[in-house]
Amino acid sequence: MDELLQALAQGLLIGSTYGLLALGMGLIYSVSGIVNFSHGDFVSLGMYLCFALFGALALDPYVSLAVTLPVMLIVGALIYRFLIQPVAEAHALMVVQLTLGVALALQNGILMVFGGQPHRVPSVVEAKLVMLGNVVMRMPHVVAFVASLALATALFVVLRSTDIGRAIRAVHQNARAAALMGVDVNRVKVMTFAVGIGLLAIAAALLAPGTPLMPSMGLRYTVITLLALVLGGMTNFLGIMVAGLVIGVSEALGMIYLSDTLGMILPYAVFVLIVLFRPEGILGQSRS
Amino acid sequence: MLRIEGVDAVYGPVKALSDANLQIGKGELVGLLGANNAGKSTLMNVLSGIVPTAAGRVFFEDEDITKASARRRVEMGIVQVPEGRLVFPQMSVRENLLMGGMNASARPKRAEGIARVCELFPRLAERLDQHAGTLSGGEQQMLAIGRGLVAGARLLMLDEPSLGLSPLFVKYIFEIIDKLHKDGLTILLVEQNLNLTLRFANRCYVLERGHIVVEGTADQVRDDPRTRSAYLGL
Amino acid sequence: MNPEFHRILRSPALWIGLVAVASLPFFLPNYYLHIATLTLVYVALASAWNIVGGIAGQLSLAHSLFVGAGGLLASALLLKLGVNLWVGALVAAAVSAALGAAIAWLDFRFRLGHLTFALITLAFAEMAEIIVIGWEFLGGASGLFLPKDTGQFSQMQFGGVQGSFWIMLTLAAAAILANLIVLNAPLGYYLRSIRDNENAAQAIGVGLLGNKIKAMVISGVLTSLVGTAYARYLTFADPYLLASPVLTIEIVLFATVGGLGRAFGPALGALLLVPLGEVLRGKLGGVLPGLHYFLYGATVIAVIMLTPRGLLPLIQDLFSGKRRAPSSGAPAKSH
Repeated sequence: MDELLQALAQGLLIGSTYGLLALGMGLIYSVSGIVNFSHGDFVSLGMYLCFALFGALALDPYVSLAVTLPVMLIVGALIYRFLIQPVAEAHALMVVQLTLGVALALQNGILMVFGGQPHRVPSVVEAKLVMLGNVVMRMPHVVAFVASLALATALFVVLRSTDIGRAIRAVHQNARAAALMGVDVNRVKVMTFAVGIGLLAIAAALLAPGTPLMPSMGLRYTVITLLALVLGGMTNFLGIMVAGLVIGVSEALGMIYLSDTLGMILPYAVFVLIVLFRPEGILGQSRS
Repeated sequence: MLRIEGVDAVYGPVKALSDANLQIGKGELVGLLGANNAGKSTLMNVLSGIVPTAAGRVFFEDEDITKASARRRVEMGIVQVPEGRLVFPQMSVRENLLMGGMNASARPKRAEGIARVCELFPRLAERLDQHAGTLSGGEQQMLAIGRGLVAGARLLMLDEPSLGLSPLFVKYIFEIIDKLHKDGLTILLVEQNLNLTLRFANRCYVLERGHIVVEGTADQVRDDPRTRSAYLGL
Repeated sequence: MNPEFHRILRSPALWIGLVAVASLPFFLPNYYLHIATLTLVYVALASAWNIVGGIAGQLSLAHSLFVGAGGLLASALLLKLGVNLWVGALVAAAVSAALGAAIAWLDFRFRLGHLTFALITLAFAEMAEIIVIGWEFLGGASGLFLPKDTGQFSQMQFGGVQGSFWIMLTLAAAAILANLIVLNAPLGYYLRSIRDNENAAQAIGVGLLGNKIKAMVISGVLTSLVGTAYARYLTFADPYLLASPVLTIEIVLFATVGGLGRAFGPALGALLLVPLGEVLRGKLGGVLPGLHYFLYGATVIAVIMLTPRGLLPLIQDLFSGKRRAPSSGAPAKSH
């Protein structure tokens, strides 16, 4: 029983950050229709930036956010404006290939600068443990959980109740009508992309402590994010967060209860089963 | 108030508007008539700044706005209520109206604007929290017009407001349009419905395949044989 | 059959080109011949994928299942059960056909949207890679070493780089031919109507299930055969290559950049990007880890920004001397 609770706790904690990752991708997708295949590699970039800042200035990853967040916001805006916007009219799959090129460039740029051996980003909270009954949780995971939920809530509130949030939803629901209301649709798209990438800087700081950094780890995050996004129903905020949790939990349960092979395929199998029988997503589509 | 001279507009290889000249005086209700695909919506989109001009100029209150962005034009008060309503389906009525007040000049007066719209359309006031996608066609039209008013329209451009509405609702909408006109609003009305437009408009233009073929007062346009032939393609 | 098909087959340019390519082994040094052979492998794979992904519009990311079946299953049958590789290739192709039909059935039965289908097939591919790596019969994580290539054709040995080149050329030509046939036969019209608007297609009586299955089976069988030949050529069935979703991602890249849904499009994409990748790796691989791939990624970005509609439409425009305005959606092309 303890083992089960342990696995559940683990899964929920990590899953909340998966949910955050998927929200970032979902935001970008709902406004610009882009599936960003370099999503995970930006997470990777964020983590490596933390590593670099730690090496240079001994900054804890949570602190280095002060630098990595603005940097990634700007990088996101530039990439959208100069690489993606010019080909926005092209076939959706072509834009995906462009992001694939970005992924390759990012991944290997990281490899060139940092080398291929695994690195670690230590954090002051790394060794701390939190006890809840008999369940042991690592502090970085708990921080990640709380921060992810807080951020998701903040995002939700901004989308729901602020003018800029409404503008974003308007562009998603009907870009032409939004333009007729005087919304600068292009600016909204750039901003949303930048924010989506900025979110990844935060997720990176949350995931970094205790994670071995390898240049190729981006793809794994991209795949998990895609799974959570589709499982969540593409545009359903709450659904996406729940989907992240589902994937996190199935990953954790798989690792503990099933043999190597079966354990690793569990999240994928869960994804396939749920999506087949509820193609509109775990909580149904768009109640955005 | 608004004047366009020699405007051409193209969609790829197709010339949708040729040498269009048009004027709208302050406080007038001007009708833009023509059959399907005559270029009426294109002209309206040119005025909104969504479709660029291939030639010609657009003046608003004697200022050359040919190069002005769509956003700027909305700020100036040139507001389009598009064909098909185009409400934001997953936003509430209130949120749609709030969106109307997005532009910089309307935002400070947004709350008043919404209050006025609620007075004008009590039916909308009853449904402020309802999702716009679940409204009936007529209610959506009211919302779209209301949105345009909150945007601070000084020139309200309506694209086929009667489309898809029941005859009773069409009558109601036109009464509202007439009321707004009588209260001093300048209106450009694009319609396929000849009779109703001629009844309420001061002046009209008739478009045929991108060219303005008839212009004059409502009576003049009604009596002109070219109007009928433009509609029937004779 | 659309007369366009016969016109293309009778075109002298096509045959001259084919003969020219076929004569490459006579004067290309082995290193470049190897790159050429590799290119042909990907021309074949990308073209085969195109039938499902480009013409039918179903973004299958599960094609690594077919490549893996062809490469690993056939090899395993040879090494563990002594089954002749030709027979093994056919068995693997049959398995691939069955898998393809099953996937098409799932797509139909559950009315999957394009993105959902892509992700479900990706999930299948990921699961397959994990399963293959844990399955000793298929070689596990270390893969399977095939017997040396001593030229015995009956054992499906091609006799070195030269022979392998001609085999791959045949497979590539077959894959492109399959595209041409499909595009100009009624099937092609049905598939494209399904791609452009599934509901409308169904409403006018186009059978969704049957046509999707046909596309997947044709594509799967071709892919599987190439997979077997590929493993044979490398003398090594590597699960991390053949059963990896990354392979499918590469194939999709070539097909899209070259010209999605067109018979010669994917070939163009592979023709540009495969040699580029190999040359970059050869020249810069040792200089700084990651440099060659970084440049590869940058090239992909540049190519797409220069030719957002794909390479084939651009080249066609250049040849016909006009610059067309970009149009959205793929026009119905018979090649």
